Amino acid sequence: MEEIVFGSGIMQLLIALILVSTFMILGSTRLYSCVRAFGMQSFLLACVAGIVAFSTGKTDIYIVAFLTLAIKAALIPYIFIYIIREIKVKREIDLYVNISPSLIIGGILVVISYYLIRSINLITELSSFALSASMSLVSIGLFIMISRKKAIMQMLGILIMENGLFLGAISLTYGMPLLVELGIFFDVLIGVLIMGILIFRINRTFETIDTDMLKTLIG
Amino acid sequence: MIEYLLLAPVLTGMVCFFSKTRKQVETASLAGSIATLLLGLLLVWQVYKYDIIITWQNALFADAFSAFIVLIVSIVGFVASLYSIGYMGHELDHGAMDLKRLRLYYVLFHGFMFTMLLVGVTNNLGLWIAIEMTTLVSALLMILYSKKSSVEAAWKYMIICTVGITFALFGTILTYYAAVNILGETGDALNWTSLIAVADRFDPTIMKLAFIFILIGYGTKAGLAPMHTWLPDAHSEAPTPVSALLSGVLLNCAMYGIIRFYTIATKSTGIDFTSNLLIIFGLLSLGIAVPFILLQEDYKRMLAYSSVEHMGIIALGIGFGGVFGVFGAILHMFNHAMTKSLMFFGAGNILQKHETKEIFNVSGLVKSMPVTGAMFVIGTLAITGSPPFSIFISEFTILAAGFSQGHYIATVLFLLFIIMIFAGFFNNVSKMAFGTPKQGIEKGDVGRLMLLAMGILMVFVFVLGVYIPPPFYEMIMKVVEIVR
Repeated sequence: MEEIVFGSGIMQLLIALILVSTFMILGSTRLYSCVRAFGMQSFLLACVAGIVAFSTGKTDIYIVAFLTLAIKAALIPYIFIYIIREIKVKREIDLYVNISPSLIIGGILVVISYYLIRSINLITELSSFALSASMSLVSIGLFIMISRKKAIMQMLGILIMENGLFLGAISLTYGMPLLVELGIFFDVLIGVLIMGILIFRINRTFETIDTDMLKTLIG
Repeated sequence: MIEYLLLAPVLTGMVCFFSKTRKQVETASLAGSIATLLLGLLLVWQVYKYDIIITWQNALFADAFSAFIVLIVSIVGFVASLYSIGYMGHELDHGAMDLKRLRLYYVLFHGFMFTMLLVGVTNNLGLWIAIEMTTLVSALLMILYSKKSSVEAAWKYMIICTVGITFALFGTILTYYAAVNILGETGDALNWTSLIAVADRFDPTIMKLAFIFILIGYGTKAGLAPMHTWLPDAHSEAPTPVSALLSGVLLNCAMYGIIRFYTIATKSTGIDFTSNLLIIFGLLSLGIAVPFILLQEDYKRMLAYSSVEHMGIIALGIGFGGVFGVFGAILHMFNHAMTKSLMFFGAGNILQKHETKEIFNVSGLVKSMPVTGAMFVIGTLAITGSPPFSIFISEFTILAAGFSQGHYIATVLFLLFIIMIFAGFFNNVSKMAFGTPKQGIEKGDVGRLMLLAMGILMVFVFVLGVYIPPPFYEMIMKVVEIVR
């Protein structure tokens, strides 16, 4: 049954688009376009959840899809834009790794994820396509965290990883039990708010949000 | 019963929030933490009587292991709130913070208590949510002072632990997947009580993968090397009473998550796989702590690295296995919580008196602060595992388990590392404790409440070194049965 859902053309298209949106974040030097691409990624995830909900007819998954739309695709991007506006940062992202090598590394990570999932061979009845996309999102999210200087991009990286896991959960088991999903949404939202507070604090104390400055505590 | 226990810190936090004066907020906090302690003890007693309590449509539960964690949280929480009154009061008097901040501190303090209690009593393995919540609240506690170093520490803590916990979530998802294949898609498929009954039928390949992710994820939060990098920063930059909670209790909560999953994973993967992983991470944590303690210049960071060491010891104890190994590890959780809190309180007293965290700028403690100095030296003896203090008993049990289970190389390395850490610790502390006091430091200790808090912890450090009360022993044996 899972094959029917995840093997369908529309699903494959959505998952491919999710990967595209991740590469848009990887390939952009402007904060706003990164946030916009993240919003798009979350919107596509909500669509994936919506289709799964429709084909299984479970109310729980409808709720999850709606929450993804409301929290991850609308509220969190809004919080990002608010932060960017309030702290008046330079709108360009400083990078440790330039755009073109970043894109190549992203591509390599996708290929590795694909073969990794294939080799584990634990889910024969499942579309390994969705799961390898999920692994790719997790690894690219990690890569964004370590290759971008701005604190705000580290926050975005974590959220991309979280999106990846969401995709993984929904393709493995149609998502977690509702109680757990609600808890995760709650934690993600509060986490974003608190990271926002921290970014304001960093900006006020260091007058920049480049994480270069955060290197004094060693040993 | 469990609901009331969880409600106590929430209500306390609310009352603190609406308090107007310093007196009110302090009284509310202390009364609330006493209530939490009493309810915690009541829960322990009920679990002792009924073995397992389940409420709220299976969402909350308490068995001996939960009760054990609740016991640690509520004891250290009570002592820390007692200490807070003295410590934070001193900060307020010296203009390091204002009344608004103080109120916020107490609100967050009890919020932190709530999240840690929740970790212990969640039936669902979405205990992930509770552990992530502890990170969120404690990061806020760290930035109470807007010093550059605290902000840096809080950011590192938040980022590294959130990434870690994301891996743990993946492990949880995999476990759920393994469970769904057996149990079917019910809301109960992540519940500890239903998982443990069928864990032996889980797919071993998936459970291996899940356990690795869980170990890395919660291991980050528990401060196991090499994911420990945030720990010394966070624990040394937080306000001292919070440092004690972070080191003494929060690390144990994360360890609790690992041990719960260890029990489930072991049933399906076999004991060799999970134990060996724990032994490797345990030894790595011990080994990494050695040079950092030997060459440390900041006494709060020294204590933080010692926490990395002790988490390693607990992981080793579980890894060695057998009744002895697990017994030692569980007992060590309790002993470490008490002793490390004692040490952090001592460090807080020293910090307030000397206003420096550098070992070189402190000397002659025994003369200038007789009570604190004496307790700090005794605490050092205790934390490094000297007889006749409590940690000696648990470390010795784990050592014995290592030999009796045939892990000779690991046990010898373990012994070697703790001897080196003992030497490093003593070298540093003797510089601080003996000699002539620095100029400009008047003789005299800090507030009475702070010393009282340390005194309470001293009782545990002394008594458990020579005598384990039978009910306490029975409780740990029950935990051992659950874990094995």
